[in-house]
Amino acid sequence: MAAVRCRALSKCFVQGEQVITGLDDVSLDIAEGEFVGLCGPSGSGKTTLLNALGGLDTPDSGEIEIGDLRVDLLGKGALAEMRLHRIGFVFQAYNLIPVLSARENIEFVMQVQGVPAQERKARSLAILEEVGLADHEDRLPAQLSGGQQQRVAVARAIVSQPTLVLADEPTANLDSHSADQLMDLFGVLNRERGITFVIATHDARVMAYCRRLVRLLDGKIVSDERQPGQGQTAA
Amino acid sequence: MLSLRLAWRNLWRHRRRTWLTVSAMIFCNALLVAMNSMQFGSYRMMIDGTLSLLTGHVQVQHKHYNDEPRMRYVVPHGAALATQLRGVLPDSAVAARAVAFGLASSEQRSFGVQFFGVEPAQEPGVSTLPGLVKAGRYLQDSNAAEAVLGSVLARNLKVTVGDELTLLGSGLDSSFAAGVVSVVGILESGMTDLDRNLAQLPLGYFQATFAMNDAVHQVVIKVPELSAVAPVKSQVEALIHNPDLTVLDWDQLQPGLRQSIQVDLASSLLIYSILVVLVAFSVLNTQLMSVLERTREFGVMMALGLRPGRLGQLVLLETGIMSFLGFLFGAALGIVITLYFQHTGIYIPGMEEAMSRYNLPGRLYPELSILSALAGPAAVFVGGMLAAIYPALRLFRLQPVAAMRAV
Amino acid sequence: MRSLGTQFTIATTLAWRNLWRNHRRTLVMLAAIVVGVWAMILFGALMRGMLDEMVRGGLNSLPGEVQIHNPQYRDDPSIENSMAPPAGELLASLDRAPITAWTARIKVPGMLASERDNRGLMLLGVDPAGEVALGFDPKDIVEGRFLESASDRGIVIGRRMAERLETELGKRVVVMSQDLNNEVADRGVRVVGIFRARLQADEESRAWLGRDAMQELLGAGDAVSEIAVTGNDYKAVDDWWQGLAESAGPELETLPWQQLQPFLDSMFRAQGSVNAVLTVIIFLALSFGLVNTLVMAVFERVREIGLMMALGMKPASVMYQVLLESLYLLALGLIIGNVLAVATLWPMRNGIDISVVGEGLEMAGMGSTLYPVLAWQDMLGSTLIVLILGLLASLLPAWRASRLDPVQALTRN
Repeated sequence: MAAVRCRALSKCFVQGEQVITGLDDVSLDIAEGEFVGLCGPSGSGKTTLLNALGGLDTPDSGEIEIGDLRVDLLGKGALAEMRLHRIGFVFQAYNLIPVLSARENIEFVMQVQGVPAQERKARSLAILEEVGLADHEDRLPAQLSGGQQQRVAVARAIVSQPTLVLADEPTANLDSHSADQLMDLFGVLNRERGITFVIATHDARVMAYCRRLVRLLDGKIVSDERQPGQGQTAA
Repeated sequence: MLSLRLAWRNLWRHRRRTWLTVSAMIFCNALLVAMNSMQFGSYRMMIDGTLSLLTGHVQVQHKHYNDEPRMRYVVPHGAALATQLRGVLPDSAVAARAVAFGLASSEQRSFGVQFFGVEPAQEPGVSTLPGLVKAGRYLQDSNAAEAVLGSVLARNLKVTVGDELTLLGSGLDSSFAAGVVSVVGILESGMTDLDRNLAQLPLGYFQATFAMNDAVHQVVIKVPELSAVAPVKSQVEALIHNPDLTVLDWDQLQPGLRQSIQVDLASSLLIYSILVVLVAFSVLNTQLMSVLERTREFGVMMALGLRPGRLGQLVLLETGIMSFLGFLFGAALGIVITLYFQHTGIYIPGMEEAMSRYNLPGRLYPELSILSALAGPAAVFVGGMLAAIYPALRLFRLQPVAAMRAV
Repeated sequence: MRSLGTQFTIATTLAWRNLWRNHRRTLVMLAAIVVGVWAMILFGALMRGMLDEMVRGGLNSLPGEVQIHNPQYRDDPSIENSMAPPAGELLASLDRAPITAWTARIKVPGMLASERDNRGLMLLGVDPAGEVALGFDPKDIVEGRFLESASDRGIVIGRRMAERLETELGKRVVVMSQDLNNEVADRGVRVVGIFRARLQADEESRAWLGRDAMQELLGAGDAVSEIAVTGNDYKAVDDWWQGLAESAGPELETLPWQQLQPFLDSMFRAQGSVNAVLTVIIFLALSFGLVNTLVMAVFERVREIGLMMALGMKPASVMYQVLLESLYLLALGLIIGNVLAVATLWPMRNGIDISVVGEGLEMAGMGSTLYPVLAWQDMLGSTLIVLILGLLASLLPAWRASRLDPVQALTRN
């Protein structure tokens, strides 16, 4: 089954007196377990596409399917439900709740899902271990480095065992070492758990990681090519 | 619980702001507790002060007497009824009274006054007046030709203890009623109007002089506690079979008293509600700011799959914690202040004149009760929670994408 | 000089624009101030109205703002303690401004008896024209007529007294009182009028007769019990009563209403402090929000303030800036609050019917219609209190803003 399938997506924004084309007749299929990079200059529609896939934003026209769900037909509540259970999000930065510790940030999503306290704790500790932050569970976001914060964000994104992770410029605020660590983590999760990754980026190192690279320009797909992708070397 | 912890920590992200908001609640709550207690204290004093002079808590009267206090509207066999009531109401004091208007003349002066015929042995139980004898003594023998007078009346009549006084009036049967009594005591209540008009005679002598036989006009009952008024009233009603008689409680006897309490309560309620509204504005401001400055954070949370309702709950929970702190500290502070004044009393300079109108002493003692301690803070709590509704509702208008872009 | 002027203008503009940068917060705070100020003025006017009503009512039944008696009369109001009618210097003083009216009356305790019942009361022997001048309203006669002259031989009794005595217009009642020889003098008189009073108790406590008839009944010659004097402004009585007392001489007791009715006076005095306490309480409830708003405004602008200081703005100017912002907020709230209060009171200018609680008000000595009184002193007082205390409360956030270290402030994110 396709993890993501979208057809003829279009979206326009009005900024002042100008109408900006966000997406222009975009169709894209992504199979389960793929590791896809969305690239292109800023304003090319990467984030718009990502938001549309995640149900954060509704396209003006077109169809989106995530698994067996028609995202474009879902109501707000169902969209929230979908994000909660099927999709993990990783943003550029500042996406942790500042007053909650690393573990609490991860537990928070599970609490909303209604996971019992015991299990929450066990799972959050396990996942922190997995992202390499086992001894940082009680630190507040402000006490973590940028790379560590992003890894907590990843842990939070995957703790609900989503099949799809959408990441928007995840390395933009990271030094190259942290960025490598983060991409390695993505690669491991992709290989070992079969999670589908869609990463919007204009970071060359990230692009090099992706097995499939979709290039956008002015809201259109201009190229869609497969490449070796270091993240997939083992596969 | 994680939500609770999250709410708690969110509150302390802006300690100063939270404390200022909580302080506003503490201030209002403490004020409300103290003011309410003071009011309830003054109401009780007003009621006690007014009723303990003459009225008592419950009276048995002829059904027309309260509206038209005419001599012919009597309670027959009054003293016997009083004795019977004393038997069934062991905790209450009961006394029979008869009333007539007439002319009191000394050697030099004459005044129209209201004569009360009282049971000398029972009257002290229902009225504070017998205890206010300034010179001489109170009445003793129910059939003696004696009188006690208010101090101003005595002065105006130019009589003192031992002097004689002539009574003129008309009896129950419209006959000419006259008698000569000797003044045995002078009463001073401190209230000029009362001291100017008061003349009490022993009931037996009164009934003989005014041709009342054994009839009276009021059987006055004083109960130990205000809360006992209603049960005592129905108990007495059940006992009385004469359809001409009626049982009245203090509210019916002195309707002005309850109304003046209501006037006071209503006007202060207006002020209190303004205070609650002001506190609510404070909460509204704080929570609105707190929601607006966290737009980005809320956007992320929504992207994670949280519904706006859930975020709204968080805001309400934060407000709830603040309101609870305000409730707790405010009520506690208010109770401490009230207890202190309950101990020492409050002296309000310049208010003695107003207080003496209601037969009140110069010092006010607040009365702390569950109602006075909790009503105000509860209103502030509810006001605070209501104020948080708007900021919480704003979350429903939040678009995750736009929110995350916000700074 | 010029640069100072420019700086001043920039500061004022800046403060004004800063105020509206976060318009929601400003509006919420403004609403709070408006409600607070509105409530202060409104309550002040209602309470002053109540008080005014009480004083006027009290003075109406007194009547007059100043009364002259025989020194023994107030303690023992019998005809024995009467006085000669005013003459000479006193008469001249009474006819001089600011006194607008005066009347000499007999006022003695007496009894009224019908064939059914009798009651004690105060008997007033009056010159009806003088009573009307002193404030008796002939419209209060609900049946029959008021007395026609001092020699009128009828009696005007209260509605309630008519009920008590089971008598009515046109019937005869017997008036009894003590004459100058300490004998009980009595005379049958016809009820020519029935009056109503704002206070029910007044309908029972007095009756009006012609002065000549009373003097004749009591054998009092032309003596009177009291002279009641009015200048038509109870607040101004302190300006003239002492002069009148001098004219009346030491043999007579001349007293203003404050001493005749100490209860009214103490209420009157209490009013000012009650208003002030109320204003302060409402302000304190407001002040938390005010400080909060300013603290928020300062803290979200830390970088900016740091920048201004780095550019050479003095700490004092920063403080001035914040205080100015607070001043704008307060002034705006005060103006709207005052206007709103006046607008609310305007429809009530003809009185509010509060007869639902009539008997309770009667106990407090008031009628059943409340006329709010908007005193400019109250408006000014509340405005000043809020302005001064508001600026005092703003000192703390303003001071904190001025203490910022520019370098630190700039590097903060």
